[in-house]
Amino acid sequence: MITEKMRAAAKELLEKGEVETVIGWEKGTFWYNSTPAFISKPEQADRLVFDEFCANNLAKYLLDYRNADGKIAVFVKGCDARAVNRLLQDNQVKREKVYLIGIPCPGMKEAPKTGAAQDTASLPLLAKCQSCATPNPVIYDQLLGDPVPAREVPNRFAGVEALEAKGADEKYERWGKLFSECIRCYACRNVCPACNCRECAFDANGLNWLGKQNNLQENQMFNITRAMHVAGRCIECGECERVCPMGLPLMDINRKIIKDLNELFGSYDAGLNLEDRPPLGHYKLDDPEKFM
Amino acid sequence: MSLNTEALPKSQEVTASPEAAPQPWEPRIVGFACNWCTYAGADLAGLSRLQYPPSIRLIRVPCSGRVNPQFVIRAFQRGADGVLVAGCHPGDCHYSTGNYFTRRRFLLMQRLLEYMGMDPRRFQARWISGSEGPKFQQVVTQMTEDIKALGPNRKMRDVE
Amino acid sequence: MKTIAKSKVSALLDEIAKEFNLLVPTSGDGASKFAPYTPGSQASFDGRTLLPPKDVFFPQTEKMYKFTTDGMAGSLETVLEAPKHQMLFGVRPCDVKSIHELDHVFLTKGFVDEFYQSKRDRTFLVSIGCNGPAEPTCFCQSMGVNPQEADAVDVHLFDLGSEYGAAGKSENGEAFLQKYASFFNEADVQLPAVAEFALNPNVEGITEKLQQMFDHPLWEEVSKKCLGCGACTYLCPTCHCFDISGRVAGNQGFNFRCWDSCMFSEYTRMAGGHNPRPSKKERVRNRFLHKLQYFPERYGDLLCTGCGRCLSKCPVNIDITNIIKQIREVELA
Repeated sequence: MITEKMRAAAKELLEKGEVETVIGWEKGTFWYNSTPAFISKPEQADRLVFDEFCANNLAKYLLDYRNADGKIAVFVKGCDARAVNRLLQDNQVKREKVYLIGIPCPGMKEAPKTGAAQDTASLPLLAKCQSCATPNPVIYDQLLGDPVPAREVPNRFAGVEALEAKGADEKYERWGKLFSECIRCYACRNVCPACNCRECAFDANGLNWLGKQNNLQENQMFNITRAMHVAGRCIECGECERVCPMGLPLMDINRKIIKDLNELFGSYDAGLNLEDRPPLGHYKLDDPEKFM
Repeated sequence: MSLNTEALPKSQEVTASPEAAPQPWEPRIVGFACNWCTYAGADLAGLSRLQYPPSIRLIRVPCSGRVNPQFVIRAFQRGADGVLVAGCHPGDCHYSTGNYFTRRRFLLMQRLLEYMGMDPRRFQARWISGSEGPKFQQVVTQMTEDIKALGPNRKMRDVE
Repeated sequence: MKTIAKSKVSALLDEIAKEFNLLVPTSGDGASKFAPYTPGSQASFDGRTLLPPKDVFFPQTEKMYKFTTDGMAGSLETVLEAPKHQMLFGVRPCDVKSIHELDHVFLTKGFVDEFYQSKRDRTFLVSIGCNGPAEPTCFCQSMGVNPQEADAVDVHLFDLGSEYGAAGKSENGEAFLQKYASFFNEADVQLPAVAEFALNPNVEGITEKLQQMFDHPLWEEVSKKCLGCGACTYLCPTCHCFDISGRVAGNQGFNFRCWDSCMFSEYTRMAGGHNPRPSKKERVRNRFLHKLQYFPERYGDLLCTGCGRCLSKCPVNIDITNIIKQIREVELA
């Protein structure tokens, strides 16, 4: 069982004093809630669990420990590991200050609609996991369990292609309707491991990048800018879409950008490899010249 | 939410006195011009007495790489029918590499705007050097013609 | 008691819509919320809506004043919509309680908010009771709400399975039932038993206890996983913080108010840059102290109705019932 191995690993690290905090998951309100847990004493390690509901990407929390004295251990699934890579590339965290415990991820499950007890095997995979091509951590100091075989992944751009084929007015109506729903709670931004600015442009009210009104225009401004700001850095963990209380299909925007980046500037998957440079962070002399 | 034109502010009416005859619609283009090349190019066009449509409003920026995607969105929201980002030719950037990043960023953004339902012809980038007064004239004329054909922009407009 | 078959409700709504601007729970595309009813459309009376009805009285963005300037002269005009009768049909008892709390804030203690009042006064409330938790995250009973019946409304509908039992709760409500009597039958009814709630936080004495817990390490602990988004506050039926901002174009402009969230970092940031709530510990603490201590101290009511929306949509499962439990477990020296 991964859970036992997790607890043992966390206990050992804390007992030896190698890390000051371990970030993992613990059970939440109901059996289908697993929620981020912060463990700083060996005896608390038994709170840790790994099950089908550990969807939260924990890498984001490393930003809270940017200035910590000691080392921080964090459990990483495939997507979390890619997020850590991105944070390392952005110099947001130092490799020597984090200890990564990799967990091959079988895919996370959706919470049941009614909350009634049922067999977790019968629950569908989360949308974000259905198109995941990297269930195994790509960076770690220690791996718990055996790597899982890569899943058959459907064409992850199928949804984007279908939208691209629509007429301009139809697209505009569709996005307008969706953006009008946005309540601007910023959950998408705050959960996103690519959103690592110390101060977000949208929080700098005095500069008026974004009006505080909730209307279509400001919501458009927010959503398009958010997408542009994570362009080339989105690791497709799908957390933004998962946490959106309004259920907006934010990955349709992120994937469009990823698709275009791949088409225009060569194949690139953020966070897969520390050596690859993000497409908007460098250039080539022979980049496509569509503007002249 | 709709594309209904009635709900939009009639900006011409704000400036024109009520008695004046309705003016034929002229496109409004916001042009972000790099200080070192395009702005000098526009200057040269003026000095050379080259005629081009008065539809463009130039905003001088230090480099085309300074132009933030948010500038473009705001321009459309506040009434632009088209947005032009113009800077030095690749290789000529005063800061060596700024325009190479511009090239990547705005190609991506143009496609994203198209995905959101905007007409990509409304958002253009061009390389115009300080000696290319005639090119500046030609670009502005062409873009004005293109946008005239498209008609007033009703998308992303701020209705407040 | 007067009863109406559930199958006849849409005919009643069609009739009401002729007289009132009628708002009903809808679950079409997008999140479920209260939206205008148009004859023939479907209202959805299953459970509670994801978005609470608070924006009917207190919109997320609301224009307050318009102004123009002309040299040294100028004009200022309050923007108040013309009163129009509206009916909120199908409000759950938890949300009825939230309207009651908003009334405290906007209408009492010597200040009346005219923007809120104008909408509140013209709204006719019809509530529908629940016979148990509408969602697993419901805990209204623990917050002093009777899930089956709301009183601070005009008409209340008891859920009797295949029909609703109607009770007039105000003069207007009685008149309403008279007017639409043809839709109702007279019958002896038996209320079903209330199903058990999974969450039953005990809030007894919590305000007094929290008065001694401002500096307790619990806040550091429970706030670690908070992401600082505003999902909880924006979905909360009782959260009512707002910001006033304006927009100027040329010689005219307007001021508006819009929801704000104490979970946002810039919420307490002052003009000089100082922020008295610099980290999520202070923000999370404020949110819970406001709900469980400051508001009861001022108005005598908890600022939580047990609707469970924050709990169901929090990205990291911050659970107010669990925090109440942890507060109770704290042993004070």
